[in-house]
Amino acid sequence: MSTTSLAYTSGNKAAASQWAVETHGLTKRFGENVAVNGVELLVPRGCAFGYLGPNGAGKTTTIRLLLGLIQPSEGHGEIFGLDCQRHPIEAHRRLAFVAGEANLWPSLTGAETLHLLGRVQGQVDKAYREELIARFDLDPTKKVRAYSKGNRQKLILIGALMARPDLLVLDEPTSGLDPLMEQAFRHSIHEARERGQTVFLSSHIMSEVEALCDRVGILREGRLVEMGTLAQMRHLSALTVEATFSEGSVPDLSGVPGVSSVQVDGRLVRCQVRGSVEPLLKALVAAGVTELLSREPSLEELFLAQYGVHGKSPDTSHDAS
Amino acid sequence: MQAEIADKKEAQVGRWPGTVVARLTARGAARSGVIWGSIFAIAIASSAISYSGIYKTLAQRDALAVAYGSNHATSALLGPAWQLQTVAGFTVFKVSMALMILGAVWGLLTSTRLLRGEEENGRWDLLLAGQTTRRRATAQALGGLAAGVFTLWAVASLVTVLSGLDSKVKIAAGPALYFSTAMVATAVMFLAVGAFCGQLSTSRRQAAGLGSVILGASYALRMVADSSAGLAWLRWATPLGWVEELQPLTRPRPFALVPIVALVIVFALGTLYLAGRRDLGAGTLSDRSNVLTIRQLPTTPLGLAAYLSRSVLLAWAASIFAYGLLLGGIAKSGGKIITSSPSLRSAFARLGVSGADAYLSVALLIMAVALSFVALGQVNAARREESSGQLENLLVRPFSRAVWLVERIALAVAALVLGGLLAGVATWLGAISDHASVKFSSLLSAGLNVSFPALLLFGVGVLVLAVAPRMVSIITYTLFVWFFLVEILGSVVNMNHWILDLSAFHQMAASPAAPIAWTANAVMVAIALVSVGFGVELFRHRDLRGE
Ligand SMILES: Nc1ncnc2c1ncn2[C@@H]1O[C@H](COP(=O)(O)OP(=O)(O)OP(=O)(O)O)[C@@H](O)[C@H]1O
Ligand SMILES: [Mg+2]
Repeated sequence: MSTTSLAYTSGNKAAASQWAVETHGLTKRFGENVAVNGVELLVPRGCAFGYLGPNGAGKTTTIRLLLGLIQPSEGHGEIFGLDCQRHPIEAHRRLAFVAGEANLWPSLTGAETLHLLGRVQGQVDKAYREELIARFDLDPTKKVRAYSKGNRQKLILIGALMARPDLLVLDEPTSGLDPLMEQAFRHSIHEARERGQTVFLSSHIMSEVEALCDRVGILREGRLVEMGTLAQMRHLSALTVEATFSEGSVPDLSGVPGVSSVQVDGRLVRCQVRGSVEPLLKALVAAGVTELLSREPSLEELFLAQYGVHGKSPDTSHDAS
Repeated sequence: MQAEIADKKEAQVGRWPGTVVARLTARGAARSGVIWGSIFAIAIASSAISYSGIYKTLAQRDALAVAYGSNHATSALLGPAWQLQTVAGFTVFKVSMALMILGAVWGLLTSTRLLRGEEENGRWDLLLAGQTTRRRATAQALGGLAAGVFTLWAVASLVTVLSGLDSKVKIAAGPALYFSTAMVATAVMFLAVGAFCGQLSTSRRQAAGLGSVILGASYALRMVADSSAGLAWLRWATPLGWVEELQPLTRPRPFALVPIVALVIVFALGTLYLAGRRDLGAGTLSDRSNVLTIRQLPTTPLGLAAYLSRSVLLAWAASIFAYGLLLGGIAKSGGKIITSSPSLRSAFARLGVSGADAYLSVALLIMAVALSFVALGQVNAARREESSGQLENLLVRPFSRAVWLVERIALAVAALVLGGLLAGVATWLGAISDHASVKFSSLLSAGLNVSFPALLLFGVGVLVLAVAPRMVSIITYTLFVWFFLVEILGSVVNMNHWILDLSAFHQMAASPAAPIAWTANAVMVAIALVSVGFGVELFRHRDLRGE
């Protein structure tokens, strides 16, 4: 916080702040509904930050506040030390934004749109733009109205990436992209990170966040309930254990200390363990375990655990077999 | 799904796959050609046959000829009246202008629909799939259109020749055919114009818009030409004038067919040329940008706003111009009607005006209404840009909200002021073509005068945009209806002057009949400025809102 006040007095705000994104008590109310509630975000420069939360948690609202498209009810946000509301132009010079839905001008072609957006942005790496067009396999001679949803999304992605901004703000940027294009997207984000660009990624695709981000923040009903590096969060959370037993010897593990969310599926038992694993191991050995599998929780599991939804997601279920 | 498409394609392509576009276009064009040909036929036959029933005696016919023969007001509207004493002359006078316009509209709509529209829908992609070039496909489509207009001509001609056989009509087959050909000539010309515009434009709608502007300009020029004997040579400058110069059934001048045929050939060749060029870079057939080169690209938000509203603004400008010519062109006769009718005179006296100037003031009041629509359109377009989310693409970049709104305001103000001046100039042009004694300067300022209510509406609209964005449309239109109703009802019933004073149309003086009320205009501008000032300031700090 002292960084902020220092920044204002020094007059060189942009250089002074170590944070790419910083919010203090950021709150937005829509009538009775509190969409964002006292959010304190700190995203260091050069980091890739995953912003998670279920539908309606307030992710898009936070981003719109950061972009100065809406005004906070309380608190404030800063981009590289620049107040989002008071210095939007300066802040926007350093960032580019990709929305989850591309609302472009239907009568312009892809090339015209990129040209216009580049002019308004004021900085374009033309060679990189051509590279991106090729990478995303976009036909820029078509009109926006003739593009499919995925192609429109590619267009705004290219429009943001081509500026090579210090900060990329992405709100569910890959909605509508096919797996191949998702790959191209990840590649581009890795590239950006190598160049030291900061990435602020709001997404529902856990594997995407897991692959791209080193820090995450989890939002729930407008409140930030968790923020930290992925490693920290894994450490704090439970380990998933899957044990297979010989016929008829499946034990009841629910009483074992530290164990929770026990699920029995024939001879297979799945559970989570927190703290010391010793009591669980003893119980397993006693019951005659034949196969044992344990792994760190996936981000998806962390996320679901946050919301008190016990169990597994479809794509981790076949890990056991 | 794939198989289904293939089957459909198979069925449509049929036996001669090389001519599928020609056949499909011909089918579409001929279908509407039959319908419109019948309309032509009914109009011609009914007017020819009814003439002898209505105007029985020679005296009646002479009176008709005197009434219309040298009336500039009607000739500006309907074209010159030649030989009204005869069935032929009357029929030509009665139906030709309407059929010319109908034919032109049919031509524009048909060719833009069947060429540009089908291409836009991707039908051509499906049908052609690499079998032929776009230029060949376009040539086929032109052939199809020719077949369609031939149907129209055949139906119209058949009925015209048949009604010529009627004992009271008595028009020989040759002149009858010449007449129906003349009537279909605008359809042929505007088929070609539409096809050409389709190649220039980036969408069907834009092509139709561009074609309408050409049609509007041709009509306006023709109107000027027909409004005074001294300007008759101007007829040679407009496609509609050439058709008039054919003078079917009265004094046939077939050499006027030369420019008509030339225009069709030039536009058809131009269409083919552009169609081939469009093919070059890309090779597939879906809707791509064609004429927009890098120079014409909107590269700034203001350029974009102008670019996106250019069709609408041009269409308004063309309408205002045509309407000004038309209303100005009948100013003298209009003024006479007002003076000679006691009830009209007293109605206008309530508005505080009388005579030819009274008539012009009413004409300009209509322009004020038209400009108000332009103002409403502009402020609602700004709101749509926000609600559609398009504006966010600009505002998440280093581009300020205030600049966006101020640029939008500048564009609208320029359109409204120029629109008012254009209204004044067009009305003046129309009036002098009718030899009305009006001063250019007084009509120019009367034209500017009609911009003020529109400016006021726009200014208030900007304030609403800033404080209650979702209410922009409802509030601005309500305000407009209020202004309008008060003005209209105010001239009929006695209203409290407080109510009357609250209508911008009432505040606007009925110029040129009355001196311009500069104080009232200044108040309107002041309100607009204050609204816009607050509007811009409030807009800077409010949430952007979607639908
Ligand atoms: N303009 C608005 N007016 C009223 N309520 C709003 C508005 N915008 C968002 N909200 C509410 O604020 C809350 C947060 O919405 P937000 O769009 O930020 O969620 P999100 O986390 O982005 O969800 P999703 O994952 O579905 O995109 C929701 O309850 C939503 O209904
Ligand atoms: Mg969202």
